[in-house]
Amino acid sequence: MGAIIETKNLRAYYITKAYGVERTVKAVDDISLEIQEGEVYGIAGESGCGKSTLLRILLGAYQPPLTVVGGDVAYHLQGETIHTADMTEEQKHDLRWRTISYIPQGSMHVLNPVRRIRDSFHDFISAHRDVTKSESFRLTADYLRDLGLPEKVMASYPHQLSGGMRQRVTIALATILWPKLIFADEPTTALDVVVQRGVIQMLKDVQQKEGSTLVLITHDIGVHANLAHRIAILYAGKLVEEADTRTILTNPRHPYTKYLIESLPNLDSREERMSIPGRPPALDRPPSGCRFHERCPLVRDICKTIDPQMIQVEPGHRTACHVVEEELSHEPVA
Amino acid sequence: MQLLKSYILPRIAQWVVVIFVGVTVTFLIPRFSPINPVDDMIGRMTAFQTIDPQAVVAMRATMEDLYGLDGSLLEQYVAFWQRLLKGDLGPSFQNFPTPVNDFIAAGLPWTVGLLTTTTLISWLLGIFVGSLVGYFQHRRWAQVLERLVIVIYPMPYLITALILLIVFAFYIPLFPMVGGAQGSPALTWQYISSILRFGFLPALSIVIGGFAFRFIMAKALATTEIASDYVQYAELAAVPKRRIVLSYVIRNTMLPHVNDLALSLGAMFEGALIVEVMFGYPGLGSKLFTAISNADYNIIMGITLMSIVGIATGSLIVDLLYPIFDPRVRLR
Repeated sequence: MGAIIETKNLRAYYITKAYGVERTVKAVDDISLEIQEGEVYGIAGESGCGKSTLLRILLGAYQPPLTVVGGDVAYHLQGETIHTADMTEEQKHDLRWRTISYIPQGSMHVLNPVRRIRDSFHDFISAHRDVTKSESFRLTADYLRDLGLPEKVMASYPHQLSGGMRQRVTIALATILWPKLIFADEPTTALDVVVQRGVIQMLKDVQQKEGSTLVLITHDIGVHANLAHRIAILYAGKLVEEADTRTILTNPRHPYTKYLIESLPNLDSREERMSIPGRPPALDRPPSGCRFHERCPLVRDICKTIDPQMIQVEPGHRTACHVVEEELSHEPVA
Repeated sequence: MQLLKSYILPRIAQWVVVIFVGVTVTFLIPRFSPINPVDDMIGRMTAFQTIDPQAVVAMRATMEDLYGLDGSLLEQYVAFWQRLLKGDLGPSFQNFPTPVNDFIAAGLPWTVGLLTTTTLISWLLGIFVGSLVGYFQHRRWAQVLERLVIVIYPMPYLITALILLIVFAFYIPLFPMVGGAQGSPALTWQYISSILRFGFLPALSIVIGGFAFRFIMAKALATTEIASDYVQYAELAAVPKRRIVLSYVIRNTMLPHVNDLALSLGAMFEGALIVEVMFGYPGLGSKLFTAISNADYNIIMGITLMSIVGIATGSLIVDLLYPIFDPRVRLR
């Protein structure tokens, strides 16, 4: 089991030019990570922290104004290493759905409203496999049955399904060809908690059946706690902490992660939850040094000027914080 | 069954009401006109000769009966409906006593033939080319095509028709200038080919205008459609472009197009007035033109009635087709 996807110092900016004014939004800035084959990798962070942008880049589905300005994304598939920057349209076409798939954000509208569900499945299957209509119908029926979805959704139109059912159908549509690598962007957002549970269970089933890799993006730490093996915390386009789920939940080191975890509701305590002071920075003019320093309770002088590097706290636990670095080295920093 | 009761029947009722109101208005308007066609006719007949007053009274009675102008307004109205339901539209004033039906029957095949063909061609062409250009809007050929249509579209119809006539009938006499066909009607190649030859320029002029309009509409609709989540998602999944254009983009923009088609076909019975006058084409439009210039109310009324029924039927068909093109309509 090696890494299936890997990024090195990945930088992706939205570069727009209007009336001669160039504006750069640094949505993904210097992110290095490795996602292992067969794991569920959660990416968490506030709205606007660059989660979805990172996913688009990992998926290789982006167009201007989003531009990769530096770094590298590589897939390790079947012993081959493919750098997304070198991929042709044809290669991307071949990889999609068969190997790499995507469950979109806001799945409410991703199904063609004037096509029956089974026809949408046929469109997606026949794009990658040489199948007749009846073959893809049978494939779809079998798969939906495996996932515990009622057979009658096959002949339905999207508007006849409930929101939760539509989301489940979309997950089925994204994973019908058993991809090795699945990206899911906020798959449970906008669903009520009971339906969320069903969707989470379904994602788990899909992932476990073939041991696929699932990259899960959501701001909902509860969902991560249920699904993810490892969690990466993103803040303002930067990776600030990465560890296995238990560590993130019980022993976070980065002040931002601490806030995030402390803000979660707890059944045993009835005290009011703290919210993080201040607001997330605008990514077109991020603060100097550590991007969190303006809101950080432990801020030092060094934080305001020098961008902290990722350091290893213990094996498998990384964070980018001067204070943690100082604690680890037991050497005072200025 | 539910569909019939909650969807089809109300729409058929609506169709009946629209036609009823339309016919009533058509009945009333000429009767509010200060000109009494019977007085007019008798005036013309007695202008240059003296006629026995008794005969004039008898003639007035006959003519009022023929024109449907005897009795009170209500009696006239009832009689009007009775004749109408029998399919009798009365005589032409100008060419008394030829029935209006004969005039309409003479013009109708020309108009229906010309306008059905051209409407269908420009509709299909406009949707396909427009949607393709909307979908591939960053390709070079799409941009060239779009500019071309934008130049053609605002050109007044008269100018297009005149240019076609001058170039292809006068300077390069490929096509005849005036008329609908040559020779006597028969199922021979000669006659049929002459219909095509005579109809080509008028048809081309209509197709150009109709195509440009539908192209612009289809392109605008496709442009909003390609930003939709389901098109983006299908693209991400590498669904073939042909499938996306047909089943995702065009299929989702069909409602306005179907609307446009049915209403255009319904409006056909007014005839293509300007086209037929410009090209001397023997359809309903030129009949209507002559009738208007001669105040031949019965013909005007006859053609108006046809177009009321045509448009009402057109929108009825649109309503009945909606559930086929958009499954979401079924629930409403």
